[in-house]
Amino acid sequence: MTPLHRTLAGAAVVLGAFAPFAGSPYRTPPAGIDIRSLATEVANEEDHVTAIELATWIQERKAGLRILDLRTAEEFDEYHLPHSENLPLEALATTRFAPDETLVLLSGGGAHAAQAWVFLRALGNRHVFFLRGGLQEWLDDVMSPTLAADAPPETKARVSALSRYFGGVPHTGTALPEPAAANSVTALRRRGC
Amino acid sequence: MSAPLFLSDHAALIAAVVIGIAFGWTLERAGLGSAKKLAGQFYLTDLTVFKVMFSAILTAMLGAFWLGRLGVLDLSRVYVPGTWLAPQLLGGAIFGAGFAIAGLCPGTSCVAAATGRGDGLAAFTGMFTGILVTGLAFAPLQRFYDSTSRGTLTLPEVLHLPYGTVVALLTGIALAGFAGAEWIERRQRAPEPEHARVATLVPEQEPQA
Repeated sequence: MTPLHRTLAGAAVVLGAFAPFAGSPYRTPPAGIDIRSLATEVANEEDHVTAIELATWIQERKAGLRILDLRTAEEFDEYHLPHSENLPLEALATTRFAPDETLVLLSGGGAHAAQAWVFLRALGNRHVFFLRGGLQEWLDDVMSPTLAADAPPETKARVSALSRYFGGVPHTGTALPEPAAANSVTALRRRGC
Repeated sequence: MSAPLFLSDHAALIAAVVIGIAFGWTLERAGLGSAKKLAGQFYLTDLTVFKVMFSAILTAMLGAFWLGRLGVLDLSRVYVPGTWLAPQLLGGAIFGAGFAIAGLCPGTSCVAAATGRGDGLAAFTGMFTGILVTGLAFAPLQRFYDSTSRGTLTLPEVLHLPYGTVVALLTGIALAGFAGAEWIERRQRAPEPEHARVATLVPEQEPQA
């Protein structure tokens, strides 16, 4: 062992030995809730995304996008959005996210995701959104969208293409979707948040 | 100004290239582009890899802790990757098997390939073929890929110990590991005992009838 090695080892011993008495290395405690700021975001509808917007982000492979599915592991295993990850609501307190990540929260009906949005904003995360209508909105608007007969052709084409990209079955007017897709969608719709 | 610094996408790419070249150059200078040196790890004849890795872990851990404590580094803004237990265990096993078979890990295989070593080129090609095949077969794998999410875990949270205590414990383990590695290497380098050499030089005489 050279003198340099001994010096470095000695420095490590000193730094390691004093660490338990140094306190927490976290300089910034979790940010408090700035109610005025959050209320403004809510009023301006900057707190959520629609299912169509989320589908577009996934299709375009938006950089830093993370879709956090707050439902139970069983519900997640049964059906989940592409590229989403299952994360229990309780795990949000200890999960850290990169500052440039865009976080989209998803629950069955939307209520848990909206609550989680408040938690994450209170923890200092900035780019956080929730899917307003939850999984049901995804099923209704992406997997089984009803295209109004009088909607502009380009809108119908765009939504149809987006739906088919995710394996959905778009239909026009009030017609019911195809039986197979309709059954699976109906089964999932029974769930709350 | 405090760290970590946030760079634009282009600046981050440039920084990645510069850091990557520096990392590769350092690996090559340390001799880690040679599979023989890395294989020595598994035969306990050359523990350079162990010492390099634990030096890096120890330096980063002590640096992050004390820089955070002194207010230079904002640890709450440092990205900690999430844990997906089953896929990461399987990935670790595949990584370990590849490391043992090739005698090279991803970084050192790039270094070995860049210096024209045949085994490095083979490992490099195999690695990127594996990445390509995994990407092409991702759809059926995705269910497993997304399974057993545990959120973001750190040792202080898992062990329910204060951050500083974990730092002290790991420092002790690392230093004990260095001492153990030095002892093993010294044993491997030690000359044969004198009586053993004499025994090989003077063949045993057969007893006369």
